[in-house]
Amino acid sequence: MSTRDVIIIGSGPAGLGVAAALVRAGVSDILVLERETEIGGIPRHTHHPSFGLLVFKRPMTGPAYIARLRARCKGVEFRTGVTATAVDGDRLSIATPEGPQTLRARHIVLATGARETPRHPRLVTGLRPMGIMTTGALQQFIYTGGMKPFSRPMIIGTELVSFSALWTLRHAGIKPVAMIEPSARVTAYRPATLFARLLGVPIHYRASVTDIAGRDTLTHIEIDSPAGRRKIDCDGVIFSGCFTGDNNLARGSGLALSPDTHIPLVDQNWLGADPRHSVVGNTTHPADMGDQCYQEALVAGAYIAKLLQSGPPQGEPLPIRHGNGIKMTTPNMLRPDEQARAFSLNLHVTRAWSGDISVTQGDKTLYRKRHSCLPARRITLKGIRFDTQSTAPLQVSLG
Amino acid sequence: MPQKPVPNFDVIVIGGGVVGCAVMRRFALNGAKALLLERGEDILSGASKANSAILHTGFDAPPGSTEVACMQAGYAEYLEMHAALNLPVLETGALVVAWNDEQRAALDGIIAKAHENGVGDVQLVERDALRRAEPHLADSAIAAVSVPREFVIDPWSSPLAYLRQAVAAGAQYRFNAEVTGGEFDGKMWRLRTGQGEFNGRIVINCSGAQGDIVQGICTPPTFEIRPRKGQFLVYDKSASDLINAIILPVPTPTTKGVVLTKTIFGNLLLGPTAEEQDDRENATVDHDMLQGLIDTGTAMLPDLSDHPVTATYAGLRPATQFKDYQIKAEAGKNWIGVNGIRSTGLTAALGIAAYVEQLCAEHFTSFGPPVAPGFPTMPNLAQHLPRASQTGDGTEILCHCESVTRGDVERALTAEVPARSLGGLRRRTRVMMGRCNGFYCSARVAELTKGKLDRPLDGGDQT
Ligand SMILES: Cc1cc2nc3c(=O)[nH]c(=O)nc-3n(C[C@H](O)[C@H](O)[C@H](O)COP(=O)(O)OP(=O)(O)OC[C@H]3O[C@@H](n4cnc5c(N)ncnc54)[C@H](O)[C@@H]3O)c2cc1C
Ligand SMILES: Cc1cc2nc3c(=O)[nH]c(=O)nc-3n(C[C@H](O)[C@H](O)[C@H](O)COP(=O)(O)OP(=O)(O)OC[C@H]3O[C@@H](n4cnc5c(N)ncnc54)[C@H](O)[C@@H]3O)c2cc1C
Repeated sequence: MSTRDVIIIGSGPAGLGVAAALVRAGVSDILVLERETEIGGIPRHTHHPSFGLLVFKRPMTGPAYIARLRARCKGVEFRTGVTATAVDGDRLSIATPEGPQTLRARHIVLATGARETPRHPRLVTGLRPMGIMTTGALQQFIYTGGMKPFSRPMIIGTELVSFSALWTLRHAGIKPVAMIEPSARVTAYRPATLFARLLGVPIHYRASVTDIAGRDTLTHIEIDSPAGRRKIDCDGVIFSGCFTGDNNLARGSGLALSPDTHIPLVDQNWLGADPRHSVVGNTTHPADMGDQCYQEALVAGAYIAKLLQSGPPQGEPLPIRHGNGIKMTTPNMLRPDEQARAFSLNLHVTRAWSGDISVTQGDKTLYRKRHSCLPARRITLKGIRFDTQSTAPLQVSLG
Repeated sequence: MPQKPVPNFDVIVIGGGVVGCAVMRRFALNGAKALLLERGEDILSGASKANSAILHTGFDAPPGSTEVACMQAGYAEYLEMHAALNLPVLETGALVVAWNDEQRAALDGIIAKAHENGVGDVQLVERDALRRAEPHLADSAIAAVSVPREFVIDPWSSPLAYLRQAVAAGAQYRFNAEVTGGEFDGKMWRLRTGQGEFNGRIVINCSGAQGDIVQGICTPPTFEIRPRKGQFLVYDKSASDLINAIILPVPTPTTKGVVLTKTIFGNLLLGPTAEEQDDRENATVDHDMLQGLIDTGTAMLPDLSDHPVTATYAGLRPATQFKDYQIKAEAGKNWIGVNGIRSTGLTAALGIAAYVEQLCAEHFTSFGPPVAPGFPTMPNLAQHLPRASQTGDGTEILCHCESVTRGDVERALTAEVPARSLGGLRRRTRVMMGRCNGFYCSARVAELTKGKLDRPLDGGDQT
């Protein structure tokens, strides 16, 4: 079995970013594995112009964006229809149409992405008629399949991706009956509500779904809101947002995970607990913009190129823990490094927070600054200076 | 204009649950010309689509009952033939766990009852041994009875295999064919359905939760169906290693209680609830009840809280006011009612079929000569045995959560007794049954099934 330089699992913006950076750094033996029959990850089926503002300074559709990113991966080998099933040190098991195979690489990158939380794990009351899906599925029905699964759906959630669902529906000439939001304000940026208003789609706040009715076909849903309980006729429900990392491969392979989020451990250079692995993109922070995933992947790729020359970093990693109100941080582990004494940390909050965010190590405060934060978007703490000698874990807290 | 001739059958089975499918198999293999009439879009449209999938030994069944006899006969026949049909068995064993002193005191009685039922290999397991066997159980588990031969099976492939064996022996089936009435002329039953009329010498009523209503076509029923709902949570595959054996509670008079078990598909199952309801049709899941189940489950298995839920579902047990099954031949009417198969029918089905055939021979007639059985090779869906996605069938994986290939789906749409509904396709392949609930694959499934399902996933409409 020959050993490749780098194998990248996943061909979304993150996987492509790592590949592009490696190519730029002169690494030539790169294999990208993608389980779908086409590369591109989420943008593959997001056909409206919601990518590229940071990377290309202009809005682009998902497929156009992916085509541009791929053009930066000259000489990279892509294999589609192939699923990575287990990572073990420098070995990788894959399932292919021809049967299982084992591959080997000096470095393995997990860029497996994120998805939405669908109906069942939300424990929603009701029956199981057809017509219940997520935005990701909706986009594939409409944009890649040219199908129209319903004509009067309801959208659950008001995250950015919920408005992406609205946009997708509009493309098919479908007008949703309403959007449902559990909290008192829209989760996405406020101007997004204008888009809903323009399309004549009401948003019900402080509302939740209390019943899904219809045995074979959906007849209506019941919602509970300050206006009381009521039935709303609809023939589809789109559960949007509530992102979760697709880190099933990491978990199934027994890679070290953060104990409270079950996200793979990843350091400030996107290196995993085993320094032969990197974990990048939305699998580590469900879910940021595609551009952000790409940009961080460029950093991760450049670092991998360096490691291939210099060997693994020294020093025991320190855990980065977080307190209440924080969904996750990336990195969630720090490798003390003589060369770089500062790092940036991204986090998501679980509820709106206006006030200090601090990073402490033992009794030292490494960072403290005021932030105004809303859930479901990236908050970046820049220039956190750390003590390369200390072995105490880091703690990130609101307040 | 000449009337369209009404086809004649030796036996008509009403209802394609696990029991109806097993009865079909039995009669078809014994040479009867058999017809299955099922009102749903597929077999398993009732209780049989939503159960715990445990192959029970009958250790805790009422001694001397028809139920325990059928369970044990069904159990034995299943183990004898499962390999020939490529049906999986996961040999987990079970532990009846006591969580307090009162339950601890009941364990001796459970052992005595098991012995009475001929299940001689049960054993008391004391606290330390229990801890070693099940290290993730909460500390409050104080002792258990081990029942080594309680196993887990595939609840959907097995009834399908029974019907496919019947079809291979010449039997027929009709879906979307609800029996709404019928007459007996002393020799022949003429049954009315939405798909026309069918004549049969013998009618076997296996209609589950509709049992008393359908029974009324022949005779005023001597029982009434009292549906009892059971809700379940399915945990992701990462959770299945938290237990080794099936964890059973000490039963109360009305229910077996909440069970923790691996599924054959590699998940962990928590449930069921036991809720009486009047509605025979709808098995809704309920947020608060599910939350309650999670609390019960995590009290038994604290590490469960580290694992995501992937699915929720509910089933209706076709219970009656009686404890035992209501299986009875109606003298002079060529009708056998197979009713009240409430919570053990998956195990008992093959045994029930044999019993029904015997009743038919005693009261009405027997058929023959037997047909040499065909053994369709069922596609394996069990996690512990090789799947098509692992051996490679020339196609890519389509459903990533459940490792279903495009080939798996295509075969289920063309095999004998093909899937004609999304539910049928899911049960035959596991497609869309995983943690993402179809985020990744449902649109591709919609495309692959275009024109092949009675109700299309894409609403039949193009953009
Ligand atoms: C419905 C939806 C809409 C979105 N819309 C936008 C938007 O409009 N704009 C925006 O900026 N962001 C959007 N996002 C956020 C999106 O997650 C990011 O844009 C970006 O796609 C993340 O990149 P990634 O490379 O981390 O993951 P992904 O793009 O998800 O790519 C991961 C890839 O890994 C593959 N993979 C996973 N596991 C394996 C395995 N075991 N073997 C082989 N391959 C594997 C997957 O098939 C997938 O192709 C959206 C997200 C969703 C869910
Ligand atoms: C929560 C729960 C957990 C269980 N756990 C287990 C277990 O672990 N092990 C075990 O062995 N058993 C278990 N069971 C029991 C088992 O599922 C049932 O005993 C079994 O499914 C009953 O099968 P059936 O064929 O009698 O009924 P059903 O499966 O209900 O089948 C009846 C069929 O008849 C059809 N029908 C109804 N009316 C008509 C009509 N008029 N015309 C045509 N067709 C009609 C229905 O559509 C249906 O498909 C459990 C049951 C439940 C609900």
